Amino acid sequence: MSIPLPLSGVRVLDLTWYTAGPFATRLLADYGADVVKIERPVVGDPARDIPPFYGNEPGVERSGLFLYLNTNKRSVTLDLKVPAGREVLKVLAAKADVVVENFNPRVLPALGLDYETLSALNPKLVMTSISNFGQTGPYRDWKGTDITFYGMGGAMINTGHPEREPLNLAGHVPSFHIGSVAAAATSIALVGAETSGEGDHIDVSAFEAWMGAIDRRMAFLMSHQYTGDVSSRAWPASALGSGVFGCLDGYFMITAGAAMFPRLAQMVGAGDLLAQPEWATVPERSKPERIDEFAVTLIPWLLERTKAEIRDACQEYGVLGGPVNTFEDVLGDRHLNERGFFPEIDHPTTGMIKYPGYSFRLHTEEGLPPRYRAPLLGEHTMEVLRDELGISEPEIADVGGAEVSR
Amino acid sequence: MPSPVARDKGRKRLPLEGIRILDFTVVWAGPYATQLLAEWGAEIIRVESTKFFPSTTRGMIARTTKQMVEASGLGGGFPDRDPGARPWNRGALFNAHGRNKLSMTVDLTQPDGQEVLEELVRISDGLIENNAVATMDRVGVSWERLSKVNPGLVMVRMPAFGLSGPYKSYRTFGSHMESVVGHYSVFGYPGEDPSSSGTSLAADPAAGVGGALAFAAGLRQRRRTGKGLQIELSTAENFSTHLGEYVMDYTMNGRLHEYVGDRDSVAAPQGVYRCAGDDRWIAVTVGTEEEWSSFCEVMGRPDLPGDQRFATVEDRHANHDLLDEAITAWTRDRDPVETMNVLQAAGVRAGAVMNEQDAFADPQLADRAYWEELSHPEAGMHLHPGVVWRAERTPNRLERAAPRLGEDNEYVYRELLGFSDNRYARFEELGHIGMDYDESIP
Repeated sequence: MSIPLPLSGVRVLDLTWYTAGPFATRLLADYGADVVKIERPVVGDPARDIPPFYGNEPGVERSGLFLYLNTNKRSVTLDLKVPAGREVLKVLAAKADVVVENFNPRVLPALGLDYETLSALNPKLVMTSISNFGQTGPYRDWKGTDITFYGMGGAMINTGHPEREPLNLAGHVPSFHIGSVAAAATSIALVGAETSGEGDHIDVSAFEAWMGAIDRRMAFLMSHQYTGDVSSRAWPASALGSGVFGCLDGYFMITAGAAMFPRLAQMVGAGDLLAQPEWATVPERSKPERIDEFAVTLIPWLLERTKAEIRDACQEYGVLGGPVNTFEDVLGDRHLNERGFFPEIDHPTTGMIKYPGYSFRLHTEEGLPPRYRAPLLGEHTMEVLRDELGISEPEIADVGGAEVSR
Repeated sequence: MPSPVARDKGRKRLPLEGIRILDFTVVWAGPYATQLLAEWGAEIIRVESTKFFPSTTRGMIARTTKQMVEASGLGGGFPDRDPGARPWNRGALFNAHGRNKLSMTVDLTQPDGQEVLEELVRISDGLIENNAVATMDRVGVSWERLSKVNPGLVMVRMPAFGLSGPYKSYRTFGSHMESVVGHYSVFGYPGEDPSSSGTSLAADPAAGVGGALAFAAGLRQRRRTGKGLQIELSTAENFSTHLGEYVMDYTMNGRLHEYVGDRDSVAAPQGVYRCAGDDRWIAVTVGTEEEWSSFCEVMGRPDLPGDQRFATVEDRHANHDLLDEAITAWTRDRDPVETMNVLQAAGVRAGAVMNEQDAFADPQLADRAYWEELSHPEAGMHLHPGVVWRAERTPNRLERAAPRLGEDNEYVYRELLGFSDNRYARFEELGHIGMDYDESIP
């Protein structure tokens, strides 16, 4: 427990649920913060009801999404609908360094738990509020999901096939991004609060987090200011030697274009092309007809080779590319395994299974400790409320902290 | 001489004011990390060179001509479609993320450039880079060396696949890293193969944010221990953490997923529906039974909730194609922004798929003063995407447009490194200091 980690000694009161908020606090927990997750009595975080479930059976301790998002945290059940529950929350906030929450912006003020109130109890408190559209403005109370965050804020208009509807990113990728923005915002604010002694209230808008993401969006917004151009779904196969191509055992993605073409030509044994005037210069190679002319050489070369062979050739020639891996490929990948990226974590429901590893590594003597499994619902209620805060067991029962399973 | 991006006196201090970071970042992921740190007060010094042009950072090639822009049929991201005399200072690609940063030039392949590197490291708190590992080896940027020069250095390295392992020297863009960690096996249209999916570039902003978090964490570690440290963020591994539930479904259940396009695994209907006009779309998710009733009412289809084919969420999943037709019949003659407003007013999760015009006209962003006007000496006055998150008690605005190549050489060499007039002149002659790429660069 005494390994010095970047966020050791930071106590985080976690009022988040679903994906974005819990990913933010998971990142803080990964790097040493003590995260106390407040869950609704009996039902807990709604992410406990989101698939995938272990053995495909729903259950409060069976969601793979929840198990993944909540490692290294402690779970306390507390009913914020009863006044005594809100008083307990104030005591927790007074002892915390950070509060992270992702309620609708109306909720905490209505409960008397807004930043004004909490910071009066604890002037150094950093509170991060994650919301769909921010704490202010005409859309403040609007609802959102992964697809609306990416559709409105992100580069969805640029994502997908030009002749099809725009395509969302897979799964909860839009929410994960928002969570990591909140973790960065919180850590930077914490550094500031520890310098100045004054806390702050951080406002993370999912809409703005994606609008300001460098996923093409920023460059295209800037470009629109410069030229008036409105962007659409550019087709990767509309650049020389670029796109996703079939190969012997699946698909392989390559990005070359006129500028980086020489390396690709060398790789597929067509280096002699570069001596010909049609292929010698960037302007010549930029002509649209070059794409099909070169495909005649490129496609057969790829079809005779496996993903692994093409990857090795790309590495040798400095061609930008990568195999289209399934998750079976990913878990078996020799590089990720050699780096020990997938730790095994034990859990009463699942037993030992592999999880994605840390987002980044510390090159310190001690490194990072193994992660601890996600908490069972209310697993640490007594530890936190009775043992650390000295609240009596009957009082804990009154605020929803009794051990009740559903 | 104060820092060219110094904040007004009397304004509340930003959390990272007084922190100086050397920025060796390229393309998108690394520059996004330093953009976020610059927004909150860090002094970011981009260390560039007049002798080397890193493609896709200050443009695709250094000397883009007006003819090339015209041939492309697009504006190429240059103001008034004109690359100008110094295209590297006028491109949207760089000017989007360059704001609030400084630029200096030095040729690190020369011994006196290497001396400057050490002088810079000595007066800095941090260093961030996201190059191929071999590129940094070549210019002498390594923890072993630089931690001896400054033991308090917080060094964040963001190579594609990390500093070790078989793919260590593999060169990629973010989309290839996404492909390697599985995203393209789940990002696509139902029934199609991955060549139809187009391009996701979500690993770049993910790595940028991860890099900013890593630096803040490293700064706090230095405060606690009194020692600097090296932090390694593999941009591929970092993006893998955004695909957690797919990894878990495979390790828990052995399940691989097929493409679901714009549909959701739980809620139905969900989709992106065609609206009136060219390339106009709206994204809708119906999350609850109440939302389903409201949605049908707004569409003028009160018959749907009672229809057995759509009675439960399972039914709606089973008959999703039919539902998509019914929804499109309603959306196809409507404006997406207006429809978003109507649906949100009825409590339905809906969002227009916004192009650039929608974004700049959006009332929420206007109300929150999101766009910020900055003047750039070679690109002119334009609106920029604003600060990525807000702090209620620390008002924060962008300070300066992206730096021109070498714009801040005087400040860095004279003010920070204390160069004499003679030494400065010698560095100009040797081509370390300049605002133009060497003539040999195309």
